[in-house]
Amino acid sequence: MRGIEGAQEVVKIVVTVSLMVALIFVALWIWPEDQAHPLGNLVSTGELKVAGVTLTGQRLLTIGTAIVVAIVLRFILRGTRLGIAMRAVVDDRSLLKLNGGRPDRTSMLSWALGASLAAVSGVLLASEQAPSVIPLTLLVVNAYAAAVVGRLRSIPGAFAGSIVLGLAISYVGAYTPADAAWGPIALDNLQRAVPAIMLFLVILAQPQVRLRAHSLQRARRPMPVPNQRLAAIGGLVLVATVVGIGSLMSGPDQNTLLKGFGFAIATLSLVPLTGYSGQISLAQLTFTGIGAVVMASWGASGDVFWVFVAVAVCSAVGALVALPALRLSGIYLALATAAFAIFCYWMVFQQQDVMPGSTASVPYLKIGPLEVGSDFGQLVVLAVAFAVIANVLVALRRSAWGRRLTAMRDSPVACATLGLNLMSTKVGVFALSAAIAGAGGALAGRTFVVDDFGLDQSLPITMLAVVGGIGSVGGALLGGLLLGVAPIATTALAANAIGVFRVLQRLGHPGDLGHAGLHGDRPRAHPRRCRSRHRGRLPGLLPLREAIAAAIVAAAALWLAARTELIANWGLFAAVVVLAFAVLPVLPAILPPPGENRRGRVGPTAVWLVVLLAVTALIPWENAIGSTGFRLIAILGWTVLGALTTLGILGLDPTGRLNVSGASPDHIGLDSSLGDAEAMVAAAEVGVDEELLSVPTPVALEVLRGGGDR
Amino acid sequence: MSAQIPGSRSGAASSSKPLLELRGVTAAYGGIQVLHGVDLEVPEGAVLALLGPNGAGKTTTISVACGLMEPTAGKVYMAGADVTGVGAEELARRGVVTVPEGKGIFPNLTVKENLLMATYAGVDMDHVEAVAYEQFPRLGERRTQVAGTLSGGEQQMLAMARGLAVNPAVLLLDELSMGLAPLVVEELYGIVARIARTGTSILVVEQFARTVLGVADLAAVMVNGRVRAVGRPSEIENELSAAYFGV
Repeated sequence: MRGIEGAQEVVKIVVTVSLMVALIFVALWIWPEDQAHPLGNLVSTGELKVAGVTLTGQRLLTIGTAIVVAIVLRFILRGTRLGIAMRAVVDDRSLLKLNGGRPDRTSMLSWALGASLAAVSGVLLASEQAPSVIPLTLLVVNAYAAAVVGRLRSIPGAFAGSIVLGLAISYVGAYTPADAAWGPIALDNLQRAVPAIMLFLVILAQPQVRLRAHSLQRARRPMPVPNQRLAAIGGLVLVATVVGIGSLMSGPDQNTLLKGFGFAIATLSLVPLTGYSGQISLAQLTFTGIGAVVMASWGASGDVFWVFVAVAVCSAVGALVALPALRLSGIYLALATAAFAIFCYWMVFQQQDVMPGSTASVPYLKIGPLEVGSDFGQLVVLAVAFAVIANVLVALRRSAWGRRLTAMRDSPVACATLGLNLMSTKVGVFALSAAIAGAGGALAGRTFVVDDFGLDQSLPITMLAVVGGIGSVGGALLGGLLLGVAPIATTALAANAIGVFRVLQRLGHPGDLGHAGLHGDRPRAHPRRCRSRHRGRLPGLLPLREAIAAAIVAAAALWLAARTELIANWGLFAAVVVLAFAVLPVLPAILPPPGENRRGRVGPTAVWLVVLLAVTALIPWENAIGSTGFRLIAILGWTVLGALTTLGILGLDPTGRLNVSGASPDHIGLDSSLGDAEAMVAAAEVGVDEELLSVPTPVALEVLRGGGDR
Repeated sequence: MSAQIPGSRSGAASSSKPLLELRGVTAAYGGIQVLHGVDLEVPEGAVLALLGPNGAGKTTTISVACGLMEPTAGKVYMAGADVTGVGAEELARRGVVTVPEGKGIFPNLTVKENLLMATYAGVDMDHVEAVAYEQFPRLGERRTQVAGTLSGGEQQMLAMARGLAVNPAVLLLDELSMGLAPLVVEELYGIVARIARTGTSILVVEQFARTVLGVADLAAVMVNGRVRAVGRPSEIENELSAAYFGV
């Protein structure tokens, strides 16, 4: 976790969450869900009767362990230097260093301590609860519900909280029979919602977080304000691509892509919320679910009117959730939204009146006389919806309100002192975000089941939004699509999503690693390496008519080849990936904008690119690699290889710097990566000799400028 | 021309060898270079005041000296040994005490727990407490109070108490006076003078020159990432006003 130290709170939370998601996948891989893993009691003998209640040996052991752990923990954290240093790390990491402490080791130990305690609880729980990955993981909600009572700091508080929670769960279980109901609302799942309800209530009872003026992180990389024209073109390209690819797909594949786009819109809903305004929500799919349910139960005809109703309902619910969330930030906000997601899962979506038969069937869209009749049609509708919403968001970001959101993210205190109404801004952005997520549900055009709306489904949405580059519309598309296609992509890819994305990001932006994603918004690389960002960067694609035309021609040729079944669908997919990530980024060097010179070896590169695309398209991916997940990984690897080779042929190294052969002194430190020998030659040309190298730099510079003596 | 070159041995106290020495240090935040070749020497047992306007690179110089930041080029020497790239925690254990700008304490720990953190430098807790409470009786009264609830002056005293108790070889102080009342500042600089008398070499960064110049043996003026002049406080007054007023 060292790498994310100093990053935004959102990024920290999301990295932790993605670790959790990845571990879930790994656990499911090792212990498949369809096998039972029964465990016996640790202590099978011994019973104790206290006031008529029978306590088994196992439970006595649990209670005893809890008490011992609490006492020992308190002693460690209050009484030992190591424990106090663990708390000091939270306060000020670098100050601990300045004191001579070792913060890295200290935090590692506190993570280890936390993890081992969790493992102890797992061992003790194993006999009480069937060990199954996702329910056990979601016990984290119970844990937080208890710990928040002590404001995540006090051990006695957490202890008291856990006793109250345990009693509440037992009482609710005992007093609500299987068919209990409150009016039309069935209460049979109330017991399972208790931890979420308690978590929500306890968080609401927390005193308001005082607005604190913290010093700004100086080195934070500003998030670029998106370009409206680029967004518009991107939208058109997206719709064209979806039409092109979708028309080639088989029915099941279209359905998968449909699902992916639903997720992409849900991910898009996080762009204004998390990306622009720095709020966090772990409940986006709950809103998607509300949108889907509204559409399925009222708008079964598919009339577009009901889409707007669904959006309005979601936005109202979003605003309602936001109201209590206003006072919260960071981890408390994340927890509150997680509690909301769990509550809705058990108490809303499980109601038979809400989702009859635990399914919600969202119809295809109908606008007046126009009626969508197939998955393909709905896919185009979703692509259009995504493009439109994305463009609205970009326009919003560029508007006064968008600036206000960003200002709120950067410094709530400054906003408050300027007289900005934080409350209405927050409610507004939550409502907007919920509305977008709801639209994703209402336009989904497929059948949902209850489990689609659980917290465990929402977590990856938030994760992938950040990984894809939060605050960027393109990142949302990438993140959402990846999640939607995850069932195909199998566990390996999902667990490795972060790695894959970083590769993609690197390729998409040669020489520019400054994407505001997992890079944590701060310069982590050694400063000397950072400097290379400013060198030799290729210009953007937009002003390059010839390059764009070439890309369109290539895409059209691939589409025709696939349409005439000259190449297989997977060949087309691979070729498109290669086109997007290995070919497009170097086109500006080959077909430069007017007034700029071509760079690198243009002729061989152009030939190579055509060959690369053709070979990629013709490889029989589907027959060569059986598993879809590994096929995707192979395609990505192939793309990386292709991109590196392209750069090699062109004479660009992977960071986008130009290799200059035949050193010119003009290039020193500017636009080139010189080897030592070349540097010496260049240095000699300007009159640097051994003697000069031995004096301090300022003196040497002074001499070189012609002034000083040696 | 070479007379103007910063760091060329022009100081008064150059007879004794430097305990802390920066040679041609450059440093950068991301792509932005902040220090462009800083040469600076703090002679043994001397107090050197590093002065200069906002953005001159004073705090960055301290960060490099205390090991929190690695220079992109140049060397840092402590008592003649090359310590370039040695981590802050290692330097702290070797007797460098740094009081960073405006936040030398852990706000969520109690006063006593804060003092306990000073023991990493190799002194025992009884000694730390004895020195701290003797010097600052007010801290003694508040030993179980959470440090974040102390007043600004008391917080700075707590930070300084560490410097006193550890008996460091080098003390690095960044903007000691920030946000404090003049009386408190006087008191704190009284402590600085007392620490100096024990033979500790001190590098103190200040934006407001007057108080610190009363304590300092030497002063260096920093502008735009370079040391523009070094000398006795009386010698550098012109440079100082030029630096602040851009004359």
